[in-house]
Amino acid sequence: MKQEKVIQLQNISKSFDGEKILNNINLYIRDKEFITLLGPSGCGKTTMLRLIAGFETPDEGTILFEGKPINDVPPYQRSVNTVFQKYALFPHLNVFENIAFGLRLKKLPEEQIRKQVKDMLALVNLKGFERRNVERLSGGQQQRVAIARALINHPKVLLLDEPLAALDLKLRKDMQVELKNMQKRTGITFIYVTHDQEEALSMSDTVMVIAEGEIQQIGTPTDIYNEPVNAFVADFIGESNILDGVMTADYKATFSGHTFDCVDSGFEKNEKVDIVVRPEDVDVVPCERGMLVGDVTGVTFKGVHYEIIVDIRGFKWMIQSTDYVAPGDHIGLSIDPDAIHVMKKSRFSNMFGDYSSFSDELEKLSDLSEEENE
Amino acid sequence: MKKRTLLERMASAPHLVWMVLFIVAPLLFVAYYAFTTPDGSFTFENIAALSNHAETFLFSVCMALISTVICLLIGYPLAYCISRASARAQKILIMLIMLPMWMNLLIRTYSMMAILDDGGFLNNLLMRLGFAPVHIVGTAGAVIFGMVYNFLPYMVLPIHSVISKLDWRLIEAANDLGCNNFRVLTRVILPLSVPGIISGLTMVFVPSISTFYISQKLGGGTFELIGDTIERQFQNPVTYHVGASISLVMMILILISLAIMNRFSDSETGGMIA
Amino acid sequence: MKTINKIYTVLILFMLYAPILVLMLFSFNSTSNTGVFTGFSFYWYRELFRSAAAFAALKNTLVLAISSAVLSTLIGTMAAIGLRKMRNKYVKGLITSVTNIPMMNPDIVTGISMMLLFVFVGTMLGQQDKLNFWTLLIAHTTFNIPYVYLNVSPKFQQMDKHLPEAALDLGCTPLQAFFKVELPCIFSGIVTGFIIAFTMSLDDFVISYFCSGSDFQTLPILIYSMTKKEVTPDIYALSTLMIVAILTLLILSNLSGSKEERAKIRALRKKRAAARKEAKA
Repeated sequence: MKQEKVIQLQNISKSFDGEKILNNINLYIRDKEFITLLGPSGCGKTTMLRLIAGFETPDEGTILFEGKPINDVPPYQRSVNTVFQKYALFPHLNVFENIAFGLRLKKLPEEQIRKQVKDMLALVNLKGFERRNVERLSGGQQQRVAIARALINHPKVLLLDEPLAALDLKLRKDMQVELKNMQKRTGITFIYVTHDQEEALSMSDTVMVIAEGEIQQIGTPTDIYNEPVNAFVADFIGESNILDGVMTADYKATFSGHTFDCVDSGFEKNEKVDIVVRPEDVDVVPCERGMLVGDVTGVTFKGVHYEIIVDIRGFKWMIQSTDYVAPGDHIGLSIDPDAIHVMKKSRFSNMFGDYSSFSDELEKLSDLSEEENE
Repeated sequence: MKKRTLLERMASAPHLVWMVLFIVAPLLFVAYYAFTTPDGSFTFENIAALSNHAETFLFSVCMALISTVICLLIGYPLAYCISRASARAQKILIMLIMLPMWMNLLIRTYSMMAILDDGGFLNNLLMRLGFAPVHIVGTAGAVIFGMVYNFLPYMVLPIHSVISKLDWRLIEAANDLGCNNFRVLTRVILPLSVPGIISGLTMVFVPSISTFYISQKLGGGTFELIGDTIERQFQNPVTYHVGASISLVMMILILISLAIMNRFSDSETGGMIA
Repeated sequence: MKTINKIYTVLILFMLYAPILVLMLFSFNSTSNTGVFTGFSFYWYRELFRSAAAFAALKNTLVLAISSAVLSTLIGTMAAIGLRKMRNKYVKGLITSVTNIPMMNPDIVTGISMMLLFVFVGTMLGQQDKLNFWTLLIAHTTFNIPYVYLNVSPKFQQMDKHLPEAALDLGCTPLQAFFKVELPCIFSGIVTGFIIAFTMSLDDFVISYFCSGSDFQTLPILIYSMTKKEVTPDIYALSTLMIVAILTLLILSNLSGSKEERAKIRALRKKRAAARKEAKA
């Protein structure tokens, strides 16, 4: 199957009030793919979406749609539709009229509008909701109306700006599956913006990690998770222990006072690097068999596994294990060569500390502030 | 947010023109008249002539202050009582408080007079019940009564809107921390309702000090408030200039006191939050 | 509510309404006595309806109230539309403050300031009747604009900022987006503003008193001139009619308001039920 580039951003920069939000962005989006723009709040992902939708114009650079520049095309002439974060349903119109909005503008015959809206309602599982007031719908139902309202115009590209952020966890999981199915069924390119890494990994064909107005990494979800390019991506996607290390030779990495076998090569001799070890890739073993030895400082039961904080030479590791160990225990750790991921030093190195101040509550607090900022 | 389009800028143009022509220009005319003689030359005489009216002015301020304080004393408990009612009852009660406001001040004052007059409803009632009639209309008390009666809703509404929005958990918290009901009122509710009190005070004081109908009717012509003085100056074009100077001074004093009040309420709430 | 609270509230409300009720009662009195009720009759209403002055004043008041409400609603709404995206806080603050001056200033000052303007300009133009319908219309529109602006501009703030964008996204031109989406969203504010402007205009005496000439009298001004003379119950009859009219207007506007509110409550209930269903499924 030939995959065309449906949207291209070339050397795009954008500032608000003198603050650079996007810095020389270059990317392309293939037709019919599900691509996620992932990053913390304020990283510029929403701005990128608004540029594509046409609500903002870039300060520099060109936006191409199917190869043609669309910088000066107003939003109402672009075959791109948006699902807004808080849905932006028209409160004065009922479900039917909200969905029919785009068709009415095109002055389609009433019969055709009726039929298409009906089909669309079936697609989003809202049969029989035509006459409902949109303000009387639940969050999940409003969400579906918003999607139907956009999809009925048969856009080439659907932009989704954190569409699930306002839903509760259970509903969010269901909608993730539904959205993915809808994308497959309709064959429309989805550009999805989120700050939720789990959402990004589970739904996308391609994930684009963005930080500080720049693209950090583009790749498939597995690539991004297994082969993060720098400390930022490693920290943002999943849990990770990020350590300072040295490549003493090809396939030999030294960190935490031990030289490990690894699968990476091509570094200069004794080059300083960042080492990523995922918590689930560390095995707990008796002290005498451990490559590393440390003291357990905290244990939290998480259902599937225990989350264990281990102090090794003053660095607090997080490891996940199904076996219980008690705080104060002296344990050994073993790491397989392919569990060690080596990254070049970047400006994000050393920005992410260990797990010494880690707590779920803190993480929740920072999540909250993130939502408020958005 | 996107930039304003030309069309949007144009939309506000009529208002801006209107504002300059009919709000700003008239006030400039007041200032102009205040500092000129009827033949158009510049003078301080009109301002100097204010000393003739100093007594009236002070009397008006006193009357307005007294009625404002009475409004607060009656209005605050009323607002508090209303805010403790059920949501439905509150809506109806507030509606009942607002209704008289929509009735013409002239009618309200006039009916007041009809009741309180020497041969009026009240005195007739008193005589039938065997009491001696009381002379009310024509006393300072009647004028204050009229002001309170007419302007009480202006005090109750802003205070109620602040109190009803108070988080009642605050009161539970205060109780929990050892406040008795009286201390809850003085330490929690009262300080938090300061913004409502301030706007209530200004909303009662401003019409009280500038009224001229109430004193004419309920004062029985024996009193003159500053509003009556101004009104009288504008009966004759020769005295427009004096009238303008009195109005100018009154307006400036009111605007200054409004500004002070606002600052006061700002710092109060600011301190409360911090 | 505690008993003592109830007693206090009822007492104050009684004080507020007693004069109005007495006035209404005496409008049906059979004699001109305003102290003793001598018998029920419609005499004073008939007397009132025979008076050409009262009808002229009623007509004038309505014409003035409607035209000033329409004009101020138009200007105030357009101002809210034009100023909603203004970014310069200081300029916007200045404009709002100046707009609100007629609301803050004592009516008497607003009244005389406009009168001075009208007299001055009228003299310059050599007009005979310097104060007429048009000066009244200008005055009423001026003090009505802030009420309209105050009711419309918050509607823009309450509206989801993304709604106009959603409309553009679905194919509306900016003008279509305004008329199809934004206008319906702020419409309730415009209606409230209009009703308030209308009633403020009906009710105004002080500003009208200074800005009206002899050839155009409104009801409040007629009442004023009537009360300057001997007290007669035909004023009571007129007042009663005005009270009833205002009451009807308020009840009507409140009915539509509470309808909206009830719909909201229903919506909330349905939403909760739907959420529960969804959680179960």
